[in-house]
Formats: sequence, structure tokens, C-alpha cells
Amino acid sequence: MGRNAGGAAEWAGRNWALLFLALEIAAFTAFGTHFVSLENLQNVLVACTYVLLLGIGETFVIITGGIDLSVGFLMGFSTVICAKAIVLLRGAALPLPAAVVLGAVICLAVGLLPGVVNGLLVARLRVPPFLATFGMYGFTYGLAEIICDNTPITAPEGTGYAGNEYVFYLVPGKVFSFLVRPQGLSEGDLRRMITVLPIIAVITFIVAPIFAFVLTRMRFGRHTYAIGGNMDAAIRAGINVPRHLTYIYMISSACAALAGALFVLRYVTGTADAGSSLMLDAVVAVVIGGASLYGGRGTVKGTIVGALIIAVLETGMVNLEIPTFNRYIAIGGILIFAVLVDQFFPDLVGRGK
Amino acid sequence: MEEGDVLRRRSAAGRILVRIGERWSGFFLILLLLAFSLLGRHFFAVRNFSNILYYSTIYLLLAAGETFVIITGGIDLSVGFVMGLVMVATSIVMRDLHAMGVQPAMSMISGSVVGLVLGVFPGLINGLLVARLRVPPFIATLGMYGVANGITLNLCQGFPIYYLPPQVQQIGNLFVAYFLPGHGLTFFRRPSNMTPDDIRSLVGIVPVTVLVAAIFLLVFGFILVRTRFGRHTFAIGGNLDAAIRSGIAVPRHLVKVYVLSSMFAAVAGVLYTYRAGIGHFTTLSSSYELFAIAAVVIGGASLMGGRGSIGGTVIGVLILNVLENGLNITGLPAFYRYMATGLILIAAVVIDQLTPEGYSSA
Repeated sequence: MGRNAGGAAEWAGRNWALLFLALEIAAFTAFGTHFVSLENLQNVLVACTYVLLLGIGETFVIITGGIDLSVGFLMGFSTVICAKAIVLLRGAALPLPAAVVLGAVICLAVGLLPGVVNGLLVARLRVPPFLATFGMYGFTYGLAEIICDNTPITAPEGTGYAGNEYVFYLVPGKVFSFLVRPQGLSEGDLRRMITVLPIIAVITFIVAPIFAFVLTRMRFGRHTYAIGGNMDAAIRAGINVPRHLTYIYMISSACAALAGALFVLRYVTGTADAGSSLMLDAVVAVVIGGASLYGGRGTVKGTIVGALIIAVLETGMVNLEIPTFNRYIAIGGILIFAVLVDQFFPDLVGRGK
Repeated sequence: MEEGDVLRRRSAAGRILVRIGERWSGFFLILLLLAFSLLGRHFFAVRNFSNILYYSTIYLLLAAGETFVIITGGIDLSVGFVMGLVMVATSIVMRDLHAMGVQPAMSMISGSVVGLVLGVFPGLINGLLVARLRVPPFIATLGMYGVANGITLNLCQGFPIYYLPPQVQQIGNLFVAYFLPGHGLTFFRRPSNMTPDDIRSLVGIVPVTVLVAAIFLLVFGFILVRTRFGRHTFAIGGNLDAAIRSGIAVPRHLVKVYVLSSMFAAVAGVLYTYRAGIGHFTTLSSSYELFAIAAVVIGGASLMGGRGSIGGTVIGVLILNVLENGLNITGLPAFYRYMATGLILIAAVVIDQLTPEGYSSA
């Protein structure tokens, strides 16, 4: 009996983030209107995509004991590159779908470059990660503003297809359609139409398990933990640490580029400050998810929970009509709370030894 | 000193190289000034240098506070948003008192006092988190960055604060001295009975806000190198264990240092209010913390702690602001400044890493 209680407490300590998420949902369900509905829960999934993508990249970096402060502005930079590329390709008379796909590919390719530079700075020139990526933070923001001339770039109409459509459309008893929004419905039918699985969330939740697999099941992941856990041991074990670190920063910037491309697909616009609030969010999601800033600890699963906590908070605040400015206070507070829990209850969180 | 030993053991040529490496930021500033004087029209002019100082004020203050924190081996990411919070709070108090018909002088004093007092709290919380609860400085101040930003936006609802007493902006844009060719100098007030031509050729020398900032920098530059407070600051950053063993009350000292940093941000916020005559909130992309930290690092401080100076930081701020001004004058978009700052920040660290001193102290 006593052991059971102890086990439960231990489980609760280790999964406090999950409990926090459940509490959050319960609170918004109790005080909000229709918080737990198919539509709203899907909104939560969409709301968490950008934080989650940036957070996944940040998870890899933080596990190695580094930090990537550039992800927010990298995402903004990527939205600008993506939107600009689509506009230029359309201008070259490419059909829209081809322009969008090619634009996204260009965005991902260009988005790798800042990561290469970050990685080389950290791994080869031994610049502290915090400073290397802070420099990149200023550099990419400036570059993005110069490319877009300080005005948002609007992508051609129709770019928003993939970002705003759903996998299934269902009007009970009448229509069922896959990927294509049914046309010619009456107003009543439109209102009753159930839309399931936003494409943008599907993409994100395909990407997340892939990275989780890489981290937990592949040699690449084991090396990542090894570098963060004990750098000297990792070097002695024959891991090519500089090369591995370069890959890690490339992953982070690739995730930011993907987030940027998805932003353009959803909002049909590219702007330099698209992700400026997300650097804080990404770090918070990773830290809530149980990663240690000293390296060696962290999971994609934890980061997903962290990103969901932020997304639920955001959607819940809209639902309760609380001014969204308060999100910054809440997220800053949660960050400090998460670190304090980690600091003071190492046994509770299961890291006593 | 250990540094001296290393120097003595090196050849003359090596010594000169190390000297230049140590003072590269000073040389770089001179190079920048020369380059822009040759490239840009109207760069080399008293009016323009006054202008550079005018825009440097808030960065000087933010970076000075940051210098203390970085010397202890910490970092303060919240300075930009603390400044925004103070600026908005100060402006709201001034606006509301002014609207209630309170004397302008009274509402200005009240606003400034409220702002400065408010500025203590973020630093106090940062300091307690870092010193007592052992939260990494980076995380504690990142949390404060979010919290201060949220409170600011709640106060101003995302709009600048207008309708302050008009005297606010007048005071904030005074110069210490005015030079009117043919009429000589006047101090703290414009010469009377000026013709429109006179007004055009009037040159203001040293903005009042710069004077205030300079006084702060001199006082705290002195405190850093000549007082026990300064010695303790270096001791904590240089060797924490030794500092504890030699009896320094480290937690209390760290709290003071973070309060100092946030007080500097508060002074910057109040001065900015006077300069602008409007209460601006800090936008997420304004990156004040980037410019402040970059200036400190360019000025020769080490992020590992134990090294840094107010003089170096002033050079760092001037480099960044001369660069911005020069880029504007040569007609390049303002956003090149973000790119340049990022590059110089990274270059500064790489140089620090590559010079022999960088290795011995890292």
C-alpha cells in the first residue's frame, strides 16, 4: 500500500507536465464554452504546430547541452524566403502547385544554411552556442527585413490550400469527401459539416514521431545523448563530435524552416517577425518537457506535451476572452516554475541519483 | 597578475599582436569612423556626432547594467522588456496626472519616480531566482522577458502612450550647449531671438540625456574598478568558490547586481520617455538585449565571467551605433544593423577565442 502510494507520487512527479496539461484542459473545460469539442481540439493541434516544430529542433540542441536562440527569427526568415520564392516562381509562369512545392523546397534548402553556420561556429570555432545563435538571431532578422523590404510578402492566392484544408470533410448522412472541400452545399449543410484533421497538423504529427524515432532508436540519437551527458566520454568513445554537433544545429534550423514554410501555407504571407515570439515558447516547451539545460536529458515526447501546454493555454485564453497579452506572463512564469521543480525536487522528478 | 606573466614571456612582435588583439575594438571603432568619414557625406560633423550620442544613450545604459551581470558570469535577457515596462508605466502616470490637471512638473516627477521604483522589482526577482533558488541566469531572465513583456502589453494594450505633458519632450531634447555661429555658446537653453536662418545653423552640443547617461556611467565605472562592490563583482565571476571562501555574501551580492541591471534599464526607460515624448512598448523584434550583450562582449567582457569594463562597453555601444548611423548615411537599409551586430558579436567571440589570452582565461 505504502509502496503503491510512493509509486504513484513518483509517477506524478515524473509526469507533472502531463498532469499540468490535464489540469489545464479540465480548467478550461469547466470555465470556458465548448472547450472540449472536435473543432476546438483541432484548433489546439494547429496552434501547437509552430511551437512544436521549433521545439523539436531545440530538443536536439538542448540535449547536447547547447541552446539555439535563433529559431524564432529563423522561422521568420524562412517565411520570407518561402513567400518570395513562390512569388518569383509564379512570376516565371510556373503553375501554382509546382510553385508552392518548389518554393517550400527552396525554403527548406536555404533554411539549412544558418544551421550549418551555427554548427560550424559552435563545433569548430568553439563559440558558445548561446552567442553563436544570438549572433545568427540578429543576422537572420536583419537579412529577412532587407529581403522583404520591411513589408510582408503576400504569396499568390491559392497558396493557402494545403495550410487551411482538412483531410476529411463529412456532412452527416450526406457527403463524405477526402482532401477536397465539398462544393455547392447549402448553408445549413455547411454549418453542420464536420472537418477532421487539419493537413498542417497532420504534417507536424508525421514529422514529430520521425524525430522521436531518430532520437530514441537510432545511433544518431544515442550519440546526441552521449555528447550532452559527458562530452569527454563521447570524444573518447570515438564519436565525431564536431560533425555531430553541426548536424544537430542543422536539424534545428531545418525544423524552423519547415515551420516557416507551413506558416506561409497557412497565412499566405511571409514576414520577418513571423516567429519572433516563438523562441521563448520553443525553449519553454522543451524545458517543460523535462529536458535539462545542462545537456544529456530530454525527449520529443516531453516537448510535445510542453507544446500542447502552451497551445492549450493560448486557445483557452481566447476561449475565456482573456487578453492574449497575458500569454507572455503565463509562459514566462511556467518556464521558471518548470526549472524550479527540476531544481528542488530531483527525487520527485526521478533524477535523484 | 597572471596576464602580465603571459605577456612578459612573449616576444616583442607577439606582444604587439596581443596588445592589438586585446584592444581590437578601439581600433575597429577608429577604422569605422575613418571609413564612414570618407564614404558618407555629412558623417564627419558635430551635429552628426551629437546625433550618434543621442541614439546611443539607452544602449549605453542597458549595456552598462549588463556589464555588471556578465562580469559575475550571468546574463540578463530581460533588459529590453524591463525598459519597455518602465517606459509605458512612466508615460501612463504622466499622461493620467496631466489629464487630471496636475502641474506638468509634478506629473513628470511622479511618473519618473514610479518608473524608477518599478524598475527595482524585475531585478529583485531575477536576482532572487538566480542567487537563492539557483535558476540559471539565462532561464530566470528569459522568464522575466516574457513576464515583463506581458505586463507591458496589458498596461498599454499594444498601443503607444500619447498625450504626455508637452514639456516632457522639450526637456528630453535639450542640449547641454548650443553653438550659434557668430553668436557664441549658450548653456541648457536655446539662444533667444533667433531668425529662421539662425535656427537652421544652430548646433546642439551633447544632448542632456547623454549627460545623464554619462554621469551614471562614470559613477558606476568608478564603482566597478575602485570600490569593494566592484572587486566583489569581479571576484564572483572570476572564481565563485574562492569568493565564497573569502567571505563574500555571494547571494546578496548577486541580487544587488541584478537589481542594478534592471535599475539601469529603468533609467533608460525614463530617459527614453523624455526623449520620445511617447511611451513605446518594446516590440519582440527590437532586440535591445542583443545590442546590449553584443556591446558588452565587443567591449572585451567574457561570458564566463570575471572580465569586462565600462570603458570597453562604451566602445562596444559606440561601434554599434556608429555603424548604424554610418549605414543610414551611406543610404543602406536600417536593418543591415541587425546583420552587422550579429556578425560583429560572433567575430568578437571568435577573436577572443583565438587570441592567446582568450585561451588562458577561458
